[in-house]
Amino acid sequence: MSKTYKQVPFAAIVPSPTVSNEHMVTGNWRYLRPVVDKGQCTQCKTCWIFCPDACVDFSKDEGVDFNLKYCKGCGVCSSVCPVGAISRVPELDFDE
Amino acid sequence: MPIKKRGTGLTAVADAWQLADIDVTASYPIRPYTAVMAEVAKRIANGLMKCEMVHGEGEHAQFSIAHGASMAGARATTGSSGVGVAYAFETYSPIAGGRCPIQALIADRTLDPPGDFGSEHTECLNLRDNGWIYGWAENAQESLDNSLMFFRIGEDPDIMLPQIVAMDGYFVSHIAQDYEMPDQEQVDKFLPPFKPQFRLDVNNPVIMGPQIEPEMGPPLEWDRNVVMDRVKEKIVAVTEEFGKIFGRKYAPFVEEYMTDDADMVFLLQGAHAVTCRSAIRYLRQAGYKVGMCRLRWFRPFPDTALKAILPKFKVVGVVDTNTSYGAAGGSGVLLVETRASVSEVPGKPLIQGFTSGLGGETITHEEFFKMAEMMKMTLEAGRIIQDAVWVNFNDYLPAVSEVQAAEQQVAQTKE
Ligand code: SF4
Ligand code: SF4
Repeated sequence: MSKTYKQVPFAAIVPSPTVSNEHMVTGNWRYLRPVVDKGQCTQCKTCWIFCPDACVDFSKDEGVDFNLKYCKGCGVCSSVCPVGAISRVPELDFDE
Repeated sequence: MPIKKRGTGLTAVADAWQLADIDVTASYPIRPYTAVMAEVAKRIANGLMKCEMVHGEGEHAQFSIAHGASMAGARATTGSSGVGVAYAFETYSPIAGGRCPIQALIADRTLDPPGDFGSEHTECLNLRDNGWIYGWAENAQESLDNSLMFFRIGEDPDIMLPQIVAMDGYFVSHIAQDYEMPDQEQVDKFLPPFKPQFRLDVNNPVIMGPQIEPEMGPPLEWDRNVVMDRVKEKIVAVTEEFGKIFGRKYAPFVEEYMTDDADMVFLLQGAHAVTCRSAIRYLRQAGYKVGMCRLRWFRPFPDTALKAILPKFKVVGVVDTNTSYGAAGGSGVLLVETRASVSEVPGKPLIQGFTSGLGGETITHEEFFKMAEMMKMTLEAGRIIQDAVWVNFNDYLPAVSEVQAAEQQVAQTKE
């Protein structure tokens, strides 16, 4: 019997996901967590544009939040924030 | 009406890119590639070409820009030479695996060290296992024609692979020669606009190049492998159609010269074929039954064509203008691929490897004569006399052995 492989579409091009893939959680190798100071944040959305992994969530009411299941802690958001509202905190400082 | 022109391999490719109405070209200077970037920049400035020219900060960026442009649906080109080709290395597999049919022009240049400008095929052959399709042109006309054919094959919805228009640096890229620039109408008939099925589009978002699971790897690689066989079929069809529209007929895979009654042939690719042909005309007068097989494609390698052609001969002299230190047979990449192509074919010829034309040297008539003489000795012996022949370094000619014997004698008397 031949083996059944998981098939991939042409060139592995897939529609942009609308739900997160629980099998591919990639945030667990992050060692610096982005933390936003909502008092300082001007809601300019620069971080939301720049995050290479689309891990900055934005809503009018809540402002900026991070999807920590997939955020790699790369720090791009904190580097581009024009007002320095995002700090990078070591993961070991958090309980979970 | 096609226009008669005098130009180089690089202006010829600029002509092809103009006719193909490319959308984006990504540049970074390195000789000899630089001339095409200068030519395209001039044409954009003069309003001859409408295309976005983006300058990278190095070749890695340069190829990545073309990659991104292609993902967005642009007909994109780029190119480089020598160490520049090496610097972009990481990008080759993702571009081919992502099925982005960009076109690169590679005008060969030696790798360092030493910092030599001359042509050697090594840098371009180094990326042979990355899924790009390519072959060498022998002159300006063929560079132009290859560029158009390669776009057509690479952008075919059944193929979708990046291509390299390869040419010998300086010999093809910089020597002025006559060629014909085809008519826009002919090109429009031959090359449809680039319309990929998937592209980056905000209204229909997709992810290209996602992380996949290990079990998805093998089928993806299988797909990349299968498409290479399909390329071979397309090459045959497209080369034929090209001949009908433009009136220039190329052999799809292997050009044969004076092979009808030949016992022995030179097998090579690129510009040295020009000297080889004229050397053969002299050799014929001197009674050597010799011909030439010139490869028009390197990837996919024309193994099927060689299986049919090579058993006609008794000795094949593969001329490698590249290095692959430590490779089986002690010559370059062409020898290995040629031997592998016919290894299981009954009645296969003796396949002799020659390394010559390194560092940008021409392979002179005299060197072709030497190789012919060595092939004749092999033919008469009926076996390979000596592998790994680097012409002028370790030739197995009677004169050379006499000199060696004399030197040994002198050394002995000195002891
Ligand atoms: S740290 Fe990097 S991955 Fe995480 S939210 Fe910021 S930019 Fe995105
Ligand atoms: S870049 Fe800074 S100020 Fe702008 S939305 Fe992000 S956190 Fe707020």
